[in-house]
This record gives sequence, C-alpha cells and structure tokens, in this order.
Amino acid sequence: MFNSKLSRRRFLGNFAFTSAAIATGTGSWVIRPDWANAAEGPIKLGIATDLTGSLGYAGSADANVARMVVKEINDAGGLLGRPIELLIEDTASNESVAVGNVRKLIQRDKVDVVIGAITSSMRNAIKDVIVARGKTLYIYPQLYEGKECTPNLFCTGPTPAQQCDEFIPWLIKNGGKRFALPSANYVWPHTLNVYARKVIESNGGEVIFEEYYPLDQIEFSSTVSRIISNKVDVVFTTVIPPGVGPFFKQLYEAGFLKNGGRLSCVYYDENTLNLNQADEIEGLASCLDYFKALTSEDPVSAKIQAAYDKQFPGTFLFAAGSAATGTYRGLKLWEAAVKEAGKVDRDSVAAALDHAKIAEGPGGPAEMVPGKHHCKMKMYTAVSKGGNYDIVARSAGLVDPKEC
Amino acid sequence: MDTLFIALFEILSFGAIVVLVVLGLGIIASMMGIFNFAQGEFVLLGAYITYLVHSAGLPVAVGMVAAPFAVGALGLVLERLVVRRFYAAPIVAMLGTYALGLIIRESVRGLIGGLYISVPEPIGGSITIGTLHFATWRFVIVIITALVMAGSYALLAYTSFGLRIRASLENPSLARASGISTGMIYGVTFAFGAALAGLAGALIVPVFSLFADLGIRFLIQGFVAVMVGGVGSFAGPVAGASVIGTLNAALPWVMAPVIADVLVFVLAIIFIKFRPQGLVSGRGV
Repeated sequence: MFNSKLSRRRFLGNFAFTSAAIATGTGSWVIRPDWANAAEGPIKLGIATDLTGSLGYAGSADANVARMVVKEINDAGGLLGRPIELLIEDTASNESVAVGNVRKLIQRDKVDVVIGAITSSMRNAIKDVIVARGKTLYIYPQLYEGKECTPNLFCTGPTPAQQCDEFIPWLIKNGGKRFALPSANYVWPHTLNVYARKVIESNGGEVIFEEYYPLDQIEFSSTVSRIISNKVDVVFTTVIPPGVGPFFKQLYEAGFLKNGGRLSCVYYDENTLNLNQADEIEGLASCLDYFKALTSEDPVSAKIQAAYDKQFPGTFLFAAGSAATGTYRGLKLWEAAVKEAGKVDRDSVAAALDHAKIAEGPGGPAEMVPGKHHCKMKMYTAVSKGGNYDIVARSAGLVDPKEC
Repeated sequence: MDTLFIALFEILSFGAIVVLVVLGLGIIASMMGIFNFAQGEFVLLGAYITYLVHSAGLPVAVGMVAAPFAVGALGLVLERLVVRRFYAAPIVAMLGTYALGLIIRESVRGLIGGLYISVPEPIGGSITIGTLHFATWRFVIVIITALVMAGSYALLAYTSFGLRIRASLENPSLARASGISTGMIYGVTFAFGAALAGLAGALIVPVFSLFADLGIRFLIQGFVAVMVGGVGSFAGPVAGASVIGTLNAALPWVMAPVIADVLVFVLAIIFIKFRPQGLVSGRGV
C-alpha cells in the first residue's frame, strides 16, 4: 500500500483537506442561548477542561456544572441584562492539545473569562495563553499545591493549608503519630508534602518515610511492606489513579486496616470511592470543601446537588475532588464580580473578584481573600464507611487559604 | 526474615502476572513474526468483559471464563479482516495493530466513562501465616500462570496442531505445499494469542482495577520482555518476561522506585546491546 507514488494532485488534495481541518477545528462546540435581545450581544464564558483522556470523568463533570449554572443565570434574565454564551473547549488531558484549543477560545471566540483546568501542569500550560498573551481573566477551580499568584488568575479550590491545618491534627488524634507519605512523582505531591510534613511535625507526629513513585506504577509491594514493618499508623497518600486503587488493596491484603491503621488521601471524593471494594478502604479519611453527605444537613448543598443530579444523571458526579465544586464557586464568584463591576472588561471584573463573596455554595459560603487570589471556604473531614462518607469534623468557619 | 518471605512472594506473583501478559504477545511475535501493538488492549478487553459480566450480576468467575473466548473470537475476526494483510510488511503491521489498539482503548474509555472501576476477586482475602499476610488471589494467579504456561508449551511442542504452527513459521511455502492451510493457522494462532491476553486481563483486573490505560504499561513491559527473551521460540519471551517481571518487582525493594522504573529499561538496553539475539536464541518451541 506504500508503493503508490504521492502525486502532486494527491498532495494538494491532502494539503487542502488538512488545512481545512485545522482551520475549522475539530474538538469544539458552542452552546448558544436561544435568545439574544441585548444590543451588546452575549457575555462570553469560556470553559477549558479535560472532556476526554484520563481526566475526562472529572472535566466532563466540570463542564456539566458550567452548563447548569449558565442555564440558571440565563433563565433568571442573564447577567447585566445580557445572556451568557457558554463556549466549551476540550483540553483532552494533554497540554499540547490544550494550548491550541484554548487559543481558539481567546483569539477566535474572544471570551471574557476562562474557567478550567484540573492538573497544575495543565494550568501552567494554558495560563500564559489566557492571562499574559490573551489578556483575559482566568479562574482555576481545582484543589492544588498553592503558590499560584499570577495577576488576573484566581483560584477557587482548596490549598494545602485548607486541607491540612485541621485535618492532620484530626488524623493524629484518630490514627496515630507515625505517618508515611507515599506519593506520586509530580509537583502537587512534592509541594503538598512539604506543607503536610511541617504540620505533622508541629503537632507532635513524625514522618517515617516519604517516597515518590512513577505516575503509572500499579505495583506497591515494597511500599506496603515498609508500611507494615515500620508500624506506620497513618498513610497520608498522594498516589493518584491508576495506582491508588491497587495500592489500597495491597495494604488491605497485608492487614494494615486490621492492625488499626488509618488511610488518608486529600483528593478522595465520591468518584474515587469506586476504585476499591468498600471494605478495602473502610475508615479512609479525606478533607475537602464538599461531600455529598452534607446534603442531609445543609439545604443549599442539597439544592445544588439535586439540581445537578436531575440534569446530569450518570457517571459524571458532582464531587469536590474533580473540581466540580470549585467550578461552581468560580462561576458564582465571577457572576457576583461582574454584577458589582457592571461591566465585563478584565480589570474591572478582576478588581471586583478580588473581594467577591457568595453566601450560598456547595458546602457553604465562600469569599475571596483580598489581594490573595485565593478563596476562603468551609472544610469538612469525612471518613468512608461501607462505601459512603460520614462527616466527622467541620471547620468552625471559613478557613483561610494562606497563599500569596 | 519475615520481610524476605513477603518480598519473595510478591516478586514471584508479579513475575507471574508479567509472564501471563507476555505469553500471548510472545506467541504471536515468535510464531507469526508480527509485533502486535494491540495486545495491551486485548488485555484491557479481557478485563472489561469480566467487569461487564460482573455488573450484569453474574459471578466474576463466569466473566473470567468467558473473557478468553470472547477476546479470542475478536482476535480471529481482526486477523481475518485486518492483520492478515500486513504479514509481508511487519513495520506496517505495527502501525496497523497500534491503530486497532487505539480504537479498542478509546472505545472502552468511552464505555466506562473514563472511570477507574474496582472488580472483586472470586476468591478474596488473604492467607495468614503467623504475622504474615499473603493475598489469596495472587496465589491463584501464580498457579493459573504455571498451568497456562505448561498447557501452551504442550500445545506447541506435542500436538500436531503445534507442529503445523511451527512449520508455517519456519517455511510457509513448504508448509503450504505439504497441504497446511497457513492462512488458517495464522488466524488461529493470532486468536490463541489474543485469548491468552484476554485471560490475563480477566485475572489481573481484580488486582489492578479496570481503567482504559490498563494495557499500555504491560504492553511496553511486554515488548521489553520479548526483546530480552528473544523472538522465535516459545521459551524466549517467557524467560524474558520472568526476568523483566522479577526486576520490576524486586528493584523497588532496594532503591527509590522512580529510579528502579528507569533502571529496568537501561539494564534491558545494555543486555540487548551485548546479546542481540536475546536469552534464548533460535527457533522452535
């Protein structure tokens, strides 16, 4: 089949086809509101998230949250009397694909704000396209390692301080003093562990070992053996899927839970519960800004959760670890900022967003800390029990992100 | 002492898993001269079928029995439709099978919604000896691997079907002249290799959980194993797989896992440099 010579006609044909494909784009689609009565046209909201690839389950949930919130705003009459036009681009869990697609949002669609990205590497890849060269406002919704202080970039997910300051003392009280930090080898675990180690040691605990693994490692026998033989009380892990499921399973099989050990993992939410059989992670503790279990005590959370489940039944859950709650918070804070500013240009909205507040959100109210680009929010500690979470501790008020 | 026992058991069980995965790949590479880049996805399919059967409410064991037959049948169809066109051009065959693998992988990713799903083992729990715990299912995998290996060897070495496979590999035109339908033999061999991958996927899914990229890591390890072991015989890839599996499981006990991960490949490259024909050279069983 490779014998046929490439003729000039064929080359030109292929060339034309390829350029047409590049020009029109492959992975984008646009949701336009049915009405557009405002003279200025719609406000353009860009979502750039991982709809496909390894993080597709999380990004799809984030896109669903955006669809839900935008629909609510448009049904209530829009923002500043203008409808919101939602433009969703796929970042495909792949930074090089992402940059091209995000550029479409900025250059072709000229969006007024971009919300999205899940991993820190994705944020770093697209933030320059959005904030520096694109001169557009950017909101990053995922829990992460902190230290992102770029102007016009706002973070609405939990930081290490929010996830560790109350959680680690709880772990020491309800698990023990001997910690192991098995981790995936990339920026978030490295930076989070520096902070976690500080909190562990200042609360009288000790770190028995801190170890990093390739991201696709799924065999952890040597680690499990070290944990058992060193009599570790608490495994505070940042190993990510696909490794984390097999890791917990091996720990369970080695008798870690039977001996009274405590598992903990700060990105564990309702999505990740399915990685293991329920008894393999019984008692696993996590600390996030929202758990579905809150719906029984917080009517606002219950309302949001019910609205989401009604519109998007299926596998993409409204969960904190996949940035869905951060996306909700980001959208609502941005809405509040636009309302206050009365216009949509970047500087005015950023100035208003700097101190924006929302009274109602998943898990409770939230407010930006002025000048800090990060968000105060309530934090909850939950423990897995029979395949669900039980809330066992709550922050007294809004927890400070302690960033920038 | 305790740790030594556990280490030996874990290394043995992971070595068995790698052997199981590489077996099908090795048979296709050795007996047909094709590097099947879709082999990892056949493993994934075996895992996916087990999950499907489990989610339909049937016992997991039923899925594990069904998986090799279903994947083998699919392998036969793919060989008849696609792969047989590539025997004359092994490089194109790599691309072709890679494309097949990509299609399978992304389809499964779509079907499971990109999630990571746990599948329970038919025989769970662990065997406790004193203070030591050994996972029961890993024991079962070691035993099944040994049985499958012995069975495959017997099939290739002692049956007339095995003889025909080897004849078709060594001298296709003479085999055809002697009345062997080499096309049929190739089809069945490919299906057999695929079925072994399906079985491997079914057996390992309780250990590693189901996710779309399950096959990829094993595919790369599998190729290294085949290179180290040597193409052309049945014993070569199996020997290579034991070495690679053992190294993979053993090195993290003595050094940082990130370094161990790379070191396996470095050692393999050095080895192939000095012994390009692999551990077991020559053709045959």
